[in-house]
Amino acid sequence: MNDGPLIVQSDKTLLLEIDHEQAPDCRKAVAPFAELERSPEHIHTYRLTPLGLWNARAAGHDAEQVIDTLLSYSRYAVPHALLIDIAETMARYGRLKLEKHPTHGLVLSSTDRPVLEEVLRAKKVQGMLGARLDDDTVAVHPSERGNLKQALLKLGWPAEDFAGYVDGEAHAIALDESNWKLRDYQRDAAESFWHGGSGVVVLPCGAGKTLVGAAAMAHAQATTLILVTNTVSARQWKDELVRRTSLTEDEIGEYSGSVKEIRPVTIATYQVMTTRRKGVYRHLELLDARDWGLIVYDEVHLLPAPIFRMTADLQARRRIGLTATLVREDGREGDVFSLIGPKRYDAPWKDIEAQGWIAPADCVEVRVTLPNSERLAYATAEPEERYRLASCTHHKIDVVRSVVAQHAGRPTLVIGQYLDQLDEVAAALDAPVIKGDTTVKERQRLFEAFRSGEVGLLVVSKVANFSIDLPSAEVAIQVSGSFGSRQEEAQRLGRLLRPGEGGKVARFYTVVSRDTVDADFAQNRQRFLAEQGYAYRIIDADDLGPVDNVG
Amino acid sequence: MLDALVVTGQTSDFPRISIVHADRENVAAALERLTGLALVWESSTGLRPLSAVPDALIGAGSRVRPFSAAGDPADAERRLALLSPRARALLEHLDNGGGEGTTGGARTGLSPEQAETPVEELLAHQLLVARDRTTVLLPGEVAVALRGGHTTAEPVDVVPPLATSDRDAALIDRGAAGAAFETVRRIELLLDLWSTEPPTVLRAGGLGVRDLKAAAAYLQVSEPTAALLVEVAFAADLLAAGPNHEGDPCWLPSDAFDGWCGQPVEQRWERIARAWLQSARMPALIGSRDPVGKARNALVPDLASVFASEARRMTLAELAGLEPGQVLATGTGVPSLVARVAWQRPRRPRFRDDLVVGTLEEAATLGVSGLGGLARHGRALLDDEDAAAVLAPLLPSPVDHVLLQADLTAVAPGPLEAGLARRVQLVADVESRGGATVYRFTPTSVRRAFDSGWTSGEVHSFIAEISRTPVPQPLTYLVDDTARTFGNIRVGMAEAFLRADDTAALAELLHHPKAASLGLRQIAPTVLVSSTPVDILLPRLRDLGVAPVVESPDGTVRVARRDVQRCRTPRSRRADGLTIAREQAHVAQVVTAIRAGDRAAASRPVVPAGTVSSPSSSLAALRAAIETRSPVWIGYVDNHGTSSERIIDPVRVEGGHLTAYDHRSDDIRSFAVHRITAVRAVDRRG
Repeated sequence: MNDGPLIVQSDKTLLLEIDHEQAPDCRKAVAPFAELERSPEHIHTYRLTPLGLWNARAAGHDAEQVIDTLLSYSRYAVPHALLIDIAETMARYGRLKLEKHPTHGLVLSSTDRPVLEEVLRAKKVQGMLGARLDDDTVAVHPSERGNLKQALLKLGWPAEDFAGYVDGEAHAIALDESNWKLRDYQRDAAESFWHGGSGVVVLPCGAGKTLVGAAAMAHAQATTLILVTNTVSARQWKDELVRRTSLTEDEIGEYSGSVKEIRPVTIATYQVMTTRRKGVYRHLELLDARDWGLIVYDEVHLLPAPIFRMTADLQARRRIGLTATLVREDGREGDVFSLIGPKRYDAPWKDIEAQGWIAPADCVEVRVTLPNSERLAYATAEPEERYRLASCTHHKIDVVRSVVAQHAGRPTLVIGQYLDQLDEVAAALDAPVIKGDTTVKERQRLFEAFRSGEVGLLVVSKVANFSIDLPSAEVAIQVSGSFGSRQEEAQRLGRLLRPGEGGKVARFYTVVSRDTVDADFAQNRQRFLAEQGYAYRIIDADDLGPVDNVG
Repeated sequence: MLDALVVTGQTSDFPRISIVHADRENVAAALERLTGLALVWESSTGLRPLSAVPDALIGAGSRVRPFSAAGDPADAERRLALLSPRARALLEHLDNGGGEGTTGGARTGLSPEQAETPVEELLAHQLLVARDRTTVLLPGEVAVALRGGHTTAEPVDVVPPLATSDRDAALIDRGAAGAAFETVRRIELLLDLWSTEPPTVLRAGGLGVRDLKAAAAYLQVSEPTAALLVEVAFAADLLAAGPNHEGDPCWLPSDAFDGWCGQPVEQRWERIARAWLQSARMPALIGSRDPVGKARNALVPDLASVFASEARRMTLAELAGLEPGQVLATGTGVPSLVARVAWQRPRRPRFRDDLVVGTLEEAATLGVSGLGGLARHGRALLDDEDAAAVLAPLLPSPVDHVLLQADLTAVAPGPLEAGLARRVQLVADVESRGGATVYRFTPTSVRRAFDSGWTSGEVHSFIAEISRTPVPQPLTYLVDDTARTFGNIRVGMAEAFLRADDTAALAELLHHPKAASLGLRQIAPTVLVSSTPVDILLPRLRDLGVAPVVESPDGTVRVARRDVQRCRTPRSRRADGLTIAREQAHVAQVVTAIRAGDRAAASRPVVPAGTVSSPSSSLAALRAAIETRSPVWIGYVDNHGTSSERIIDPVRVEGGHLTAYDHRSDDIRSFAVHRITAVRAVDRRG
């Protein structure tokens, strides 16, 4: 029996004991091919998935290396079937290659003829292929490059894409590092993306994904299309690029619902790209408006399905995806893999926090008991009304008030889902509120005021979930959310994790109503936090005072 | 292989031994052994096999037939040289195929020049012998000549080499131990499931395909692996057919299973592995098609062969022959092992090769071998030594603690001690199994512990006791929160309830000495429940001097009244109108009949009785009546012989029958003309 830190389970999960002395080495060895699923305090869980193994193959690891890692770190014997499965899965990647042919353009070639035969016979693939050039090579219609990769992944024979990229229209972009430095992991991330050609960089919220994007642009030295989730985040990208690179305001265009500029660097929102008029995507021509050399996808895990279809046609351009998590609530991780690219860089949340780049957080769940009258109303309510009833109880306002009072003087955000509730909270606390209907200008003014410390308390709806940089927030109070979405939890926590000065500890409060669906959803989110390694406490609203004084 | 020689030469002399493709010494040694076994004896003319030996060998896979009487390989060789390439190819094919073939009517008795087909050519050269019209045989001497003067084309004393490669012996052992651990764990898991939801025994015996699929999905293994596990559990007597609660035959864990569960893992494995080694069953065939094309089910009775156990032992013995640290090479290793076993026992049925391959796969799954090499505990198993003791140090040692985490999971970093595992499973759900086990605490799982009688204090102390890490606050909170709502609402059984606003009256009733038998219990100051049904309770309460009223299910008071019994008024059977109408119709009918009778009687002819009008005159009269449309009187004898008189209006006469309106029955009737005794005209007045 070996005394390693790793336990390999037969259901393809790997359990890593953190307190073990070999644990850091083991984590480094395992990370390239296994997805970190949970990282609570003692034992981290990794999962072996075909995508993960193919990601590893794409990064140049082979099956023998993977198996050796498992065998040498494993505490117990590794199930034989699992090893065979790993070897077989990894061997599937790269049997097929997409290559440039001097005379025939794009071709699909294989070193393994039976595989090629199998693939050629698959119905889904047939329409995408052209003439058979010789026994091992088939011509591919250039426009089907993305669709073919998607289809091949579904067949279980992911193709390696060696066909290269068009350079795009050259445009000088350089990082302007006069008063800041690119962090090591950001540099690594950008470089490993560049060597890989296309792919996804996974970094936690607040770790500076925008700068990785900027560094990638500096590598590409070409016109760039940036796709982001919403207008506010588009403006932030713009500000950040102006501040951190040689680009000037005139070189950066915004392509959103209100403004439609096309400049060497254009920032477009997902929403405008997916707007349809009479069943036609009207803004698709943006993709062809310029000879883009690089396409940046912000928040890949939110990429809407129509964009996937558009991305399928953009396979000749370099693509970089930025995200905090590869977990998609719709389970389309495979499409991200085949259309944007394999994972090129990954740094666990806690590691970056340990390096001091993001702030540590203290998570507290405050449970309020519904008064009897509301309990009755809740019990008799229609199921679809229940969540709103439970999460909008007036008791929460008292709790919020007392939490705010305890952290007086520290920048605080109150985040919620229901606008009525937000208005009520705002009125009770006498604080400004930002909702969907707040004008972009007003929003920016408030955010700016919050950043500068002019406003110490801000009530925001879910518009603030994504890509809004509020580095000064130290306390967040969540009063309601969208039905326990894990993604949302990550985003909201991300608001707090931007590093502040002098080792601040971020506080993350969630106020939930006990014995209701609110608490059930909260459990879901809590589990996510715990799995990310954030210990959390649960306290009753009545105990709020004394407990927090101790903390 | 030497017995081939014995067949070849019915009465052999020593030189003929040269036809065995082997070294002279080896042949001599083998002959000695055959003589020793008394299968061959030395007669005055040379060696002779027992006469039963050729019979036993031919048909049991021997590839050589006895020489024909005048046979001589040298002569055969000469004739072979004359053959056309086509004929030669056919001959070789026939030789490979067992030396016997059927032809579609080749002509015999031809000279080589006349031959048209290869078969005819061969027959003409006497290289094939026709047994009957359609079957041809390859005589022994020809076969020997074909193989270059030997009984086999390949030398028989050269042991086929095994393709091997080197692996770390410790790695082999660990790999195998991992598989062994998994096997034991999976069998326990499956049988645990089947003890509550047993699959039914098929009518033909065996386990249904669907049940096997479900088992495979449950165990997260492939179907063949699941089939193997089921089969070895069966072979180890852990699983047997027995009746379930309804008495239907089901596959159930045997009582040996309980004892087995209590043993340490290594002993459990030894029991399974030993059972597998000795079993005559062939799990590898499950799911394949039998000759009829039906899929074979697991656990069916006919899935056994006498060769299975032998093939298994020989295969493992070959593996055991390898140096420790040597394993079968990937790809080429398995076929080379098959060839080796085939060389050792050449006369086994063809499916033996499949058995060898199957054995290798099964051994790997069961943890007897690992990475293609026999593990140390596998070796011990084969040598009937204490395999469990060899295996024990390789297995994860049981642990007595778990690690608790804030995401409400508990990880046992090794197999938990048996009793502990069951207790943890009560409080938490299993999320992932393997060398370690991951448990998750949920409100449901904690409530389950409360349901089976634990208190929140016990749960807390149990968790604290088994955890090596501090108990996370959320878990403490979860237990308390579950305890808070647990038992909030209590449910009980009662036949009746008694409620009163007057608590004193209820208390009085409760403590009344005569009320003891009513089973009263106070559940609230104003509510009592009783275990006595209402209909008995009511009179008893009245006896006690209280005046209860009964509440109906919707809460209203049911006023008591003496039950007066009544039955339903019977309904009159028919409406009056109907009866009257029927009677009127009846009367009208009778009147009609009487009137018709009267008219008939009135118009009765005056001719004396006995004078019968002839049919022809009757017919004429009738025709006349039809033409004039006038009524006639007829005398008629029906088929009972009763004569009657009627007044009729004839309509037509056809085919000996008269169709007419009969005044008496007020209807159209048909009369047989020959039965009409007389016809008379009647005057129209009626």
